[in-house]
Amino acid sequence: MQKVVNISLNGIAYQLEEPGYNQLHSYLERAEARLKDSPDRAEVMADLEQAIGEKCRAVLGPHKTVVSTGEVERIIQEMGPVEAADPQAANTTADPGGAAPAAALPPPRKRLFQIREGAMWMGVCNGIAAYINVDVTWVRIAFILLTIFSSGLWFVLYLVLMFVVPVATTPEDRAAAFGMPFSTEELISRAKKTLNSSASSTAGGANGAASSGSGTGSFAT
Amino acid sequence: MENISEKLAPIRKGLLEFVILKIVAGDKVYVADMLKLLGPTEFATQEGTLYPLLSKLRREELVDYEWQESDAGPPRKYYKLTPKGRTQLSTLNDYWKDLNRTLADFGN
Repeated sequence: MQKVVNISLNGIAYQLEEPGYNQLHSYLERAEARLKDSPDRAEVMADLEQAIGEKCRAVLGPHKTVVSTGEVERIIQEMGPVEAADPQAANTTADPGGAAPAAALPPPRKRLFQIREGAMWMGVCNGIAAYINVDVTWVRIAFILLTIFSSGLWFVLYLVLMFVVPVATTPEDRAAAFGMPFSTEELISRAKKTLNSSASSTAGGANGAASSGSGTGSFAT
Repeated sequence: MENISEKLAPIRKGLLEFVILKIVAGDKVYVADMLKLLGPTEFATQEGTLYPLLSKLRREELVDYEWQESDAGPPRKYYKLTPKGRTQLSTLNDYWKDLNRTLADFGN
């Protein structure tokens, strides 16, 4: 049994198997990102949607109403990577392969978070484990041993971290905690943010200052 | 052989625009038919390349399209050459001939 997603391509509805939908969604997002600087973006996107719709219709019939994942994959293959026709627009999109924009991007910056999912208590050890990429059990053992050896002083550090380290609440936080994107959508939104933040890196700095400010605020209470 | 083909890729890419103008110079053409025409040639390409190129050519007023009803779904865009495109095509044709002559003059 497969979950089906209803989509509309240029005003006509289609049903796709869910994994196929995800692939098509990221293909179109990638295309849109490629055409970001093209004055023809809207027109080309509509053309692409229509062409995809036509290819979907070709595989559907009276006794087949859902486009399978395999068929979506073949359609994406046939469409090929979207390349901006203008040289100046092509310059801004550095990667010519099209299939894997992830490879061209720098790895996301890891950040220390408290991860409440699967935490023993507040998720401090969990967050550290994700940050230094070791099994959380080792971190916990280290914390317990250090607490014993420091006759309890180390435990105070845990309390301090509990107040200072932010809690990973959004999926983006959690991805940053592990230093990796975990979905294509997240990957693309990260790519967009990388573009935005390089344009206004000062805004990012102000943001960072604000979050550390709130950290000390909660520590005081 | 593959290496040679890779080396020539920029030439093919540059010529694609010329080839498209040649194709739409005849009868009105639908993109799927253009792809079929190009498929068996050195200029085989895909929608992902062709649609952005056609939109650019339209913006430069070299080609235009008209909507035509289709029995298999929504109306389709049929592309054709504009008068400006025709002038450009004959310029390109002349240039291509000159290039060939120059290449021939160099001998082998």
